[in-house]
Amino acid sequence: MLRFLLRRLAIAVPTLFLVVTLSFFMMRLAPGNPFQGDRKLTPEIEKAVNAKYGLDKPLAVQYVKYLGDVIHGDFGPSLKYRDKTVVEIIGQGLPKSLTLGGCALLLGTVLGMAMGTAAALRQNRGADYLATTVAIVGVCIPTFVTAPVLVLIFGSRLGWLPIAGWGNGAPRYLILPVIVMALPLVAIIARLTRAGMIEVLRSNYVRTARAKGLSESAIVLRHALRGAVLPLVSFLGPASAGMMTGSLIVEQVFNLPGLGKNFVMSASQRDYTLVMGVVILYATLILVMNLVADMIYALLDPRVKLS
Amino acid sequence: MRGTGLRNLLLLLVAGLALSGCEGRVIPTCPAGKLCLHAGNGTDPGTLDPAKSQLVTEDNILSDLLVGLVTDDADGKGVPGMAESWTTSPDGLTWTFKLRDATWSDGVPVTAEDFVFTLRRLVDPKTAAEYAYFAFPIKNGTEANAGKAPLESLGVRAVDPKTLEITLVHPTAYLPQILKHMVTYPVPAHVVKKWGDAWSRPEHYVSNGPFTLSYWRLGDRIRLVKNPRFYDARNVCLDEVYYYPTTDTISAERRVRRDELDIADGIAASRVPYLRQPDQIPTYVRSAPYMGVYYLAFNTHVAGLENKDVRTALSMTIDRDFIASKLIRAEKNAAYGFVPPGVTDYPGGARVFYADWSFEKRKAYARDLLAKAGYGPQRPLKLELKTASTGTAEPSALVAAVQSDWRSIGVQTSIIQEDGQVFFSDMNVRNFQVGMAGWIADYDDATTFLALLKSDTGAQNYGDYKNPAYDALLAQADVTVDPKARGALMVRAEQIALDDVGVAPVYFAFSRNLVNPAITGWNDNIMDHHRMRWVCFKDAAARRARSQG
Repeated sequence: MLRFLLRRLAIAVPTLFLVVTLSFFMMRLAPGNPFQGDRKLTPEIEKAVNAKYGLDKPLAVQYVKYLGDVIHGDFGPSLKYRDKTVVEIIGQGLPKSLTLGGCALLLGTVLGMAMGTAAALRQNRGADYLATTVAIVGVCIPTFVTAPVLVLIFGSRLGWLPIAGWGNGAPRYLILPVIVMALPLVAIIARLTRAGMIEVLRSNYVRTARAKGLSESAIVLRHALRGAVLPLVSFLGPASAGMMTGSLIVEQVFNLPGLGKNFVMSASQRDYTLVMGVVILYATLILVMNLVADMIYALLDPRVKLS
Repeated sequence: MRGTGLRNLLLLLVAGLALSGCEGRVIPTCPAGKLCLHAGNGTDPGTLDPAKSQLVTEDNILSDLLVGLVTDDADGKGVPGMAESWTTSPDGLTWTFKLRDATWSDGVPVTAEDFVFTLRRLVDPKTAAEYAYFAFPIKNGTEANAGKAPLESLGVRAVDPKTLEITLVHPTAYLPQILKHMVTYPVPAHVVKKWGDAWSRPEHYVSNGPFTLSYWRLGDRIRLVKNPRFYDARNVCLDEVYYYPTTDTISAERRVRRDELDIADGIAASRVPYLRQPDQIPTYVRSAPYMGVYYLAFNTHVAGLENKDVRTALSMTIDRDFIASKLIRAEKNAAYGFVPPGVTDYPGGARVFYADWSFEKRKAYARDLLAKAGYGPQRPLKLELKTASTGTAEPSALVAAVQSDWRSIGVQTSIIQEDGQVFFSDMNVRNFQVGMAGWIADYDDATTFLALLKSDTGAQNYGDYKNPAYDALLAQADVTVDPKARGALMVRAEQIALDDVGVAPVYFAFSRNLVNPAITGWNDNIMDHHRMRWVCFKDAAARRARSQG
């Protein structure tokens, strides 16, 4: 186990380095710069601004300096939110995105697995068709549709829930965004679980368990589900990294202070430092979640060896 | 028995969600007994340091925190702020400001030295202020900013703690306008010297205006609290102001309908007719002319577009009335001139010569002009029209309308839409043929528009329009002290630019806000400036009683 961890770590470091290098140069090669706007700066002012934010040096020099700073944990100031450092912006947004994404992940997984299992147990019967339909609809309807529709029903019409805002993280503010984020997840997980379950239910060890005279719930919950969630684990690894870093659409519709919008806005505004910060965060999360997924895989399936 | 465990779990989840949800209407935060206002404010500000500020959303907040020498009244007009009064020398070059007795929110007096410090800091290349050019009318401003003159040589002097003297390069009639712009708001010298750039963080922020900065939660809200040390504090009605970034205007509109927000800015044009219906929220909708113009820039380096007849033909074949009434939903805002109406000390009246012609007549005339220039069915004029994608529908609809208008006179137009950053970089290096540009005034004076077309303006004169007569008139206006004579010179210049088709103005900007009708002191004005110092609620007492923390 330890050797496995060390080896993965040894691969992770060069991977991250490659991601940082590629994104650094791709960002700089993109046309435009953070100080380009409808007010064109005079050459003197432009020079001063570039000097202030270290953009006046040759690209290679900037790159080496950036790497050095990052190793020391300094991601620099955001070029658009100048009163804030990149670390601060991520530090303010990440806990909120983690809360939202974590809740959505939990809700989506539990609901999706429940639906998938129910559908598999009643294959080709009413419940199955219902679950499959819900799953297809859930995948097909994008969040920019579900979000306003749910807001309209539960916020504007029924008045049960706030329609937007963070509200200092009070649960009722989180319900709608969490549901919106969880819906597509429910759909995918239900389908994965159903497919895995159907396959496992036909396997020899389930037949053995039945022959032993185990109760149906013990067979499903202890034996079948364990085998059926394997494909789910490999899906959830990278998916959870995405969920935890927030969603632009959900944050816009619900006015939430998450991280998701930074992925899009910082790139289009050429906020170089912020782009790099969120890219490094996302890449790290992906690496970590994949590692966790592999470890869970090994725990669930005795056939998998971590070597 | 099958699946009961799962079913129970599901039931539990649903019940939990339902229970936590049944709380009814949301009352926005406000400490007990206080009067609070909740305002949607577009995007988060980038900074609350005036020297680094650039955005309208920054201006809204900064203007509640800091007060300049001159300040806005409830109608957006300049009135004495930190300066009680001022005098101008006969040549218009030396301005002397008498400061009022006022203190910073930490109790330290505001002195003339603070303003000297502020303006030197604005031009200091180390500050790297994008808006440093606001100090260029001040003596040695340009030189000091380029590092060619010491900061101490800047024409700003503290005669005594309560007297400030500003020396100019040329008479600048609009100096009071500059002095009520956010970049010239005073910064507390004693605090900036202590904390450097970090002074604008909420924990260090010291202000001299009606409010102080309490906290700034990025992406969530910014909280301002009434400043008891403000010189006019007894006339400030609101106890607290909350600014929320509202990037999604529809969501902001819903929050206004539910009283979660009292004000929302930047409502989409297409929503206005709907919201004005009697069963919607007609009393909330506030739309007013705004000091800005949207225009097409013609790149005069492109073959064909260097020809004035071609530019005239193109400009006159834009159906401005259709665009104004059907696309941007503001009938009166079709632009037949370049400077919007309502600018201070500007008589206006310059118009394109075909303003009163029917569209059919214009098209016929335009076809003749194109034929004269050698374009016709055999050799059609082919153009690229560039625009920035802003995320809203209006610009795309607008360029499509222009494309179709031009097709009717045989011009083939292809539309290129680009990200904002790419678009402006293309415009600046002249990598465009026709560009959809806009200009929102920095201050209430015609020069903010007319300077765009001077031949020495550089990159911002996108099309590189050039006419020595135009330049001469503006140069003369710069040294003219009498506002009437100066206005007349500028109108003549505007007429020349319109006749030359230096640009093709399309429509004048206007502001669109949703404002709770219970709000008072929030007046429509051409700058769209609404300082919270003047704002109150009709039912203030009832609202105070309702606040419960």
